[in-house]
Amino acid sequence: MNTGVIQGGWEFVWAAYAVTATILTGYGLSIFSRYRAALRRRSAAGPGVTR
Amino acid sequence: MATSKTPYACIGLAVTLLVWGSVWGLFYAPAETYMGDVQRIMYAHVPTAWNAMLALSFAFLCALMSLWRSEMAWDNRLEAALEVGVVLSALLCMQGAIWAKPTWGVWWDWDPRLTTTAVMVFAFGAILALRQFVEDPVKRATWSAVATVIAFADVPIVYFSVRWWNSLHQLQSSPETVSKAFHWPLRINAFGILFLMIGLISLRTRVAALRREEELAPPLPETAPRRAPIAEGARS
Repeated sequence: MNTGVIQGGWEFVWAAYAVTATILTGYGLSIFSRYRAALRRRSAAGPGVTR
Repeated sequence: MATSKTPYACIGLAVTLLVWGSVWGLFYAPAETYMGDVQRIMYAHVPTAWNAMLALSFAFLCALMSLWRSEMAWDNRLEAALEVGVVLSALLCMQGAIWAKPTWGVWWDWDPRLTTTAVMVFAFGAILALRQFVEDPVKRATWSAVATVIAFADVPIVYFSVRWWNSLHQLQSSPETVSKAFHWPLRINAFGILFLMIGLISLRTRVAALRREEELAPPLPETAPRRAPIAEGARS
């Protein structure tokens, strides 16, 4: 009988948390790598030179 | 340029809070009466929604300050807040689709809340795309600030859409609309994503500032004139 109560559904819960963790971690790492690359480019240009 | 460790401290605190809040929400908080365990998606979805709107509101503030003060620092913050806001909003739509399937029976519906949120993602995403096509930093700052102010009109519409129109989506979650048993994991994750957002915006602002520095620096000459070596005897 349909009770109006959702049964199970853990696969959706895990999917939501997995998507959240993947996107936030991936985006965080992308910012970090862009920051490191920008710092490397600046230090490669030498002191006092910003290009 | 600031090189403090504050963004890393914020991200570290965020990870701790998010692990704590998620473990509480997934394993210790009770299941909801009608939605059962599926409701546990709320501990990720609602904090993402709050912070996506907060990031875009900060972008709006940065746009106003950029137009008023004409300082590149505000444009750097604007770029960072826009990007973080768009990532959180896109993530919000994905989490919402995963929650919608078991509760509404569909991944997506052209419901007022979902439609206005999609408009918000595409509008702010388009501003980020616009920034890639404008080479002049001053024009880019002005145009993207104006576009942000216009696009921000959608943010309060997203928030109030569930009250203004007949929507499939539930009303805004707040301490009044959420049972007490669900409060703590929701609060902990909300602060977790808040600190993550602050950390990411700070770090992304530094990336924007370094890029701006590169753009505004004069080009290096093709061949630098070489100095004649000084003979040893000529020094004194």
